Amino acid sequence: MTLNQVSISPVFPLWLIFLLLFFGLAAAVYQYWVIRRKLGNPRAAVLSLLRLCALFLLISFALNPSLWARKEQKVYQSLAILLDTSQSMGLPGAAGKGSRLDEAKGILLNGPAPLVKSLTERFDIKLYGLGESLKSLEVEDLAGLKAGEKEGDVAEAIDRLADKHSMAVLFSDGNLKWKEGPSKRLPLVAVPLGDPKGYKDILIKTIQAPAMAFRGREVVIDVRVKGYGYKGLTFPVHLKDGSKLITAKNISFNDPSAEVTIPLSFTPEELGPHHLSIGIPPQFGESLTSNNAVSLSLKVMKDKIRILMISGSPSLSYRFMRMAFKNDPSIDLLSFVVLRTPSDIINVPLQEQSLIPLPIETLFTKELKSFDLLIFDNLPSHLYLKPIYFESVREFVKGGGSFAMIGGPFFLDEGRYLGTAIEEILPVRLNEKEDYRRDASWRVGLSAAGKDHPITRLSPDEAYNLNLWQEMPSLDGINLLVAKNSGTILLEGEGDGTSQPILTVGHYGSGRVLVLATDYSWKWYMGMVAKGKDNWPYLRLIERMVRWLTKDPSLDSIQVTLPEKRGWAGQEMEIRFKVGEEDSLSRRKGFVSLSVFDPQGLRIKSQMKTAGQGNEYLGSFLPEKEGSYKLKIETPASRVEENLVVSSPMEGLDGVPHPEQLKIISTATGGRLLSREDDLLREIETYAERTESRFVELRSSALWEKPYTFIFILILLATEWYLRRRWGLV
Amino acid sequence: MEAIVEELELRTSIDALKERRIATLSDPDLFFCPFLYVAGKYAFEPFTPREREILRRYITFGGFLFVEDTMGAKGFGFDQTFRKEIKEILPNRELKRLPTDHPVFQTFYLIGNMGGRQKVNAYLEGVTIDNWTPVIYSQNDLSGAWARDKFGNWVNECVPGGEGQRSSAFKMGINIIVYSLTSDYKKDLVHHPFIKRRQNL
Repeated sequence: MTLNQVSISPVFPLWLIFLLLFFGLAAAVYQYWVIRRKLGNPRAAVLSLLRLCALFLLISFALNPSLWARKEQKVYQSLAILLDTSQSMGLPGAAGKGSRLDEAKGILLNGPAPLVKSLTERFDIKLYGLGESLKSLEVEDLAGLKAGEKEGDVAEAIDRLADKHSMAVLFSDGNLKWKEGPSKRLPLVAVPLGDPKGYKDILIKTIQAPAMAFRGREVVIDVRVKGYGYKGLTFPVHLKDGSKLITAKNISFNDPSAEVTIPLSFTPEELGPHHLSIGIPPQFGESLTSNNAVSLSLKVMKDKIRILMISGSPSLSYRFMRMAFKNDPSIDLLSFVVLRTPSDIINVPLQEQSLIPLPIETLFTKELKSFDLLIFDNLPSHLYLKPIYFESVREFVKGGGSFAMIGGPFFLDEGRYLGTAIEEILPVRLNEKEDYRRDASWRVGLSAAGKDHPITRLSPDEAYNLNLWQEMPSLDGINLLVAKNSGTILLEGEGDGTSQPILTVGHYGSGRVLVLATDYSWKWYMGMVAKGKDNWPYLRLIERMVRWLTKDPSLDSIQVTLPEKRGWAGQEMEIRFKVGEEDSLSRRKGFVSLSVFDPQGLRIKSQMKTAGQGNEYLGSFLPEKEGSYKLKIETPASRVEENLVVSSPMEGLDGVPHPEQLKIISTATGGRLLSREDDLLREIETYAERTESRFVELRSSALWEKPYTFIFILILLATEWYLRRRWGLV
Repeated sequence: MEAIVEELELRTSIDALKERRIATLSDPDLFFCPFLYVAGKYAFEPFTPREREILRRYITFGGFLFVEDTMGAKGFGFDQTFRKEIKEILPNRELKRLPTDHPVFQTFYLIGNMGGRQKVNAYLEGVTIDNWTPVIYSQNDLSGAWARDKFGNWVNECVPGGEGQRSSAFKMGINIIVYSLTSDYKKDLVHHPFIKRRQNL
């Protein structure tokens, strides 16, 4: 014990303690002066000194002296063992037998001296799986551990483990996330797995492709291909639409590890969603072939809506419709108006006629598919069309085209459509006789379906829309028809005590059909102008008829938001969709449904719930395998289909081992990169010694708490008492 | 006018109603008559501001107006009054000569010569809004050339061209009516090579 180990902490002010000491000294001197006459100087001095010591000790307790003890202990190190469980750890390891994860398991569990066992004897170890998140493991879990997660974040793991462990050992191939910059909170010793020199692979690293394209316009998809170990060889990169090859290009690598970007271009001609795939045939010796292909979805839309309109005669119906079509820059109209029938007498030489032959055969045998919408406007078709062309129209609609018939005296062509393909596709039943009525005035009103249908819902405001249709002028002529069960009546005409369908729509095959049973719809234009109002209701009606028929997405009351990031098989996918204000009936009555179909076309389980506002929905499903999933969202008034590509977890995976990444990480953390050839146990131990820390314990104890101090005082006082008795003072 | 309707039915696929309907500018059904025919020889009472507004609206929003000065000479009362009125009705538009490639000369017949009772002008005039000419003005008295008596005889002689000039008047009348129902249909690209070839014959 040295004076450095003693500390004081006075319980009274120091001046009071010194005053008491002074009084003690004074008392001892007085005692000496009184008893020295009886006992003589030596004996009086002994007694007074004994008293003085006892007093001093008692008073010095007021200084609260303590004794400090310092004890240093060696810390038993806590070691975190991290096993990378990302996808690339499932690729072949260095020896070529088993995966990289198996290689790690072998080091830890197998051999005459399993590393885990050896480390457990020397350290306090804890095992972790490092994937998308950090998971705590037991030694027993190691055998069943599988690779397949997303890349782990080492910086994040260090943040979590730094307070619990003094060192970490990482088993990885280096395909990890790492935030640049030193982080010496937890030294990390890395053990590299896999063989970068022997790794051979070709992968499609990234693709840059538009989500949608326009029919007839070139689409360019930039494909970035990376190759390892295939220097000098040439490979084809092909682009397929389903199973149909669209285009292919060759690539070759100049370096053992090289990247090449090639553009693949094509011009889509068919509308709708396309499931495209880009692929490279598997090569001999490739470590991973499932990253040779990438799937993507491309929605092909119309840049222009192409309409073919054939009118039976010049008419106001034709002129106003033509005006409406020409008013819309997205419509490309090709119209033919029959200016004279075979019975009309033109009576002038050819050079004075402007009439042109109707190219019926070309139109109906070759060109029809290039149009989106075919319109027969009051057409006495038997004069110009052979029945075989009706078959062409049916096939056109069945394949996704659209067809509209506009009424008038020649609409039914004197019953000649009966039993033809035209009768089959129309949403109305046809009569044998011409049933055109011009003897009454027909007031037009919205049917129940018409109130919510995108064609007749000219305004999102339900009441305003209803009022708008009530204001529309009456029609002077209509065709008397009966809607088929498959047809939906949107507008009804009230006249002579009966109700007649005026606007009827339906579906046939993949296409849509519409019948407007009047040639007086132009009155809806001029009637509003006559009232001093705007002409937009008629223009909007015609525009919406065209857009509904041609399935224009802008008219969909359902707007779908697909996830921005590509989804993986086994990962829940979420989609958001919104039902427009105009489809209020569906929302009110809960007629909104979501169906999801897997790549084989089988319906799979999906969930749907409202999200945010009442017209927003959140749908979800769990794709079990990769491929193109079809989503169908339906309301009674609308239906939207979208394709969502679910990728394979291996898609785009660059699995080459990156020991240099491990070196960067370990150096930044103050650790080091080991080699598989090293004696790992010794290396870890050696490194652990360097980072070994000791624990120093400091303990203080108050002297007045010690019994020996009181015994010493008692001895002083007892000795004084004994000597007093001996020397005859008591 | 019966003669032009008969010829229209005979020569074209148009199914016309043979009835005369006289409308005033204040008629609420005016807008349901998308082809208005106005003819006269003499000066007429100027339109009221209300009538001008109705006519402006009618012309601007889809109506068609065919106006004829039947005097058979230039610069008389009707011509003066009409020119003044159309300027009042459409102050930002001008009554201009229609070019020879205007669709009205190509809608049914390819017309190179103007007909009429009197060949006052070798052209038609009109007011064009975008690609549509809702006002067409003739001073050749086309209707005078079409007129027949109840026995089917021509009421007026056509001078100086005679029957050829009458024939041209019918062709022009049919073209104007077809134009009012098809607008610039003949300007569609599909017609262009045919028309050009025939004009070069």
